[in-house]
Amino acid sequence: MKENVIALLVLLPSVLLVGYFVYVSIGWNVVVSLSDWKGLEPSYTIIGFGRYAELFHDPVFWISLKNNLLLILLFVPSSLLVGLFLAILLDMKVREEGIFRTIYLLPFAISFVITASLWAWMYDPEVGVINILLEKVGLGFLKTGWVSDPTIAIYCVILALTWQFSGYTMLIFLAGIRSIPESQVMAAEVDGAYGFSLYRRIIIPQLKSSALAAFVVLMVFALKGFDFIYVLTGGGPGGWSTDVLPLEMFKETFSKTHFAYGAAYATVLFMIVMIIVVPYLYMSSRRKEQ
Amino acid sequence: MKFPRPRRILLYALLILFAFAFILPFWTCITTSLKTNQDVKSTVPVEPPTSPTLEPWMEALNIMEKPLLNSLTFTLLATIFSCFIGSINGYVLSKIRFKGSDMVFLFFAIGIFIPYQIVLIPLVLTMSRLGLYNSIEGLILTHTAYGIPVCTLLFRNFYKEIPDSLIMAAKTDGAGTWTIYRRILLPLSSAPFVVTGVLQFTSIWNDFLFGLVLARGTEALPASVALANLKGTTTAFWNVQMAGALWYALPVVVVYLILGKYLIKGYMAGAVKG
Repeated sequence: MKENVIALLVLLPSVLLVGYFVYVSIGWNVVVSLSDWKGLEPSYTIIGFGRYAELFHDPVFWISLKNNLLLILLFVPSSLLVGLFLAILLDMKVREEGIFRTIYLLPFAISFVITASLWAWMYDPEVGVINILLEKVGLGFLKTGWVSDPTIAIYCVILALTWQFSGYTMLIFLAGIRSIPESQVMAAEVDGAYGFSLYRRIIIPQLKSSALAAFVVLMVFALKGFDFIYVLTGGGPGGWSTDVLPLEMFKETFSKTHFAYGAAYATVLFMIVMIIVVPYLYMSSRRKEQ
Repeated sequence: MKFPRPRRILLYALLILFAFAFILPFWTCITTSLKTNQDVKSTVPVEPPTSPTLEPWMEALNIMEKPLLNSLTFTLLATIFSCFIGSINGYVLSKIRFKGSDMVFLFFAIGIFIPYQIVLIPLVLTMSRLGLYNSIEGLILTHTAYGIPVCTLLFRNFYKEIPDSLIMAAKTDGAGTWTIYRRILLPLSSAPFVVTGVLQFTSIWNDFLFGLVLARGTEALPASVALANLKGTTTAFWNVQMAGALWYALPVVVVYLILGKYLIKGYMAGAVKG
């Protein structure tokens, strides 16, 4: 048998499986979004783009989208900055670097259901550690409801997610820093670059591709992250104060059994994610070819 | 680079401060899990328990035992399946030149990044039609299918590093495609198998969304969903909830501490979480 025939035969089952579970399913979801399916009984009568029109007039959609944008505007840069800061600290010939690295990365390895439980406990207004510690150190006036206060709940979510993802961005940046040739750093030192100015002038400008890789991962998470918010706040309090698109998709579909509407949510979410991912994949595949 | 002394003290102070901030949630979780209900109310969460008890651990295990076994079963099997399929695919994509291999690459790559909400409705319908809704088999199939893209790409990148001359030499000796895979690539694959295996194990073990929509009731309930349910039902009993979280965290923490450097390689290879 010719080699390329074998190649196709080997790949065929996977291509069929992924083709069905990814591509056919995406098409199927779009069909559902154009149908009149509401309730447990499937219905595929196509009634057009009405669900999308409804979506764009739904205040909950805009609230969820706004929260996704808040994640993009705050969680993404804060994770990048904290991670970069930790990477720079760890790059300064730290003793026991491995122990610090292990500690900083631990939250990223853990399930969101666990970290959400831990933060629910930390944020508890009555017995949670944050309010109790504030009281103990004489900052009792800062005590607040945290995730039970609709005005600040989303920021509590962002803080906790930054805690979980900073170890990951640290890892990416540290690898980026370590791949810069020693000779370049030494030459800059001879020229008088020292300490943080060395980082600002020589090292950070060379971390563009590390930053881009971490940026894409964080952006995609900011849009599709579901587990953490579902467990910590369920989208509340106060109705939708921490609601996001993937969570609202789940609620419409599986709690309210409004399948067509949930499918429309999913399609819009998918499009937004693809706008970020496709150019990135295109760029990185081009870079590899060069 | 090295700083003079006072600056180094500042450096370590910062590192330790951050370490405390990163550990605090885990620390209060552990102390709380060892406290009686009374203790939870009367002590500060960071304090160790006044009279340590394993009661919450036992109570949590009672609720979580079956889900933990469920998770262990489908996680191990889906990890093994997706890694082997990924390995064979990776071999074909990296060592055999054929038309359209770039397209196949893109085809898989997009599968890594899609938000799974886009496939949830069809997935639930498919699993019910196959009679696999609410079953371990359904979760194995789901996690294997959605694991193939990332495993394939990881193995493809690993095998690209293996020199083609090795394959050519075997070919001139008359070895066929399968023999080359089994005799040459597979024996060189222990590192990629550990990296991919550890990555798949942790991400399938940590999964919540698929478990949430594919398993109702107890037969196939994953530990992640059981833990989330625990939070919903016993809000007052923080100690049991924290003990449950620790039971569920245990396998991944063990893997992380023993095989962390392989997991890091998996993260670095551009793999995604969430």
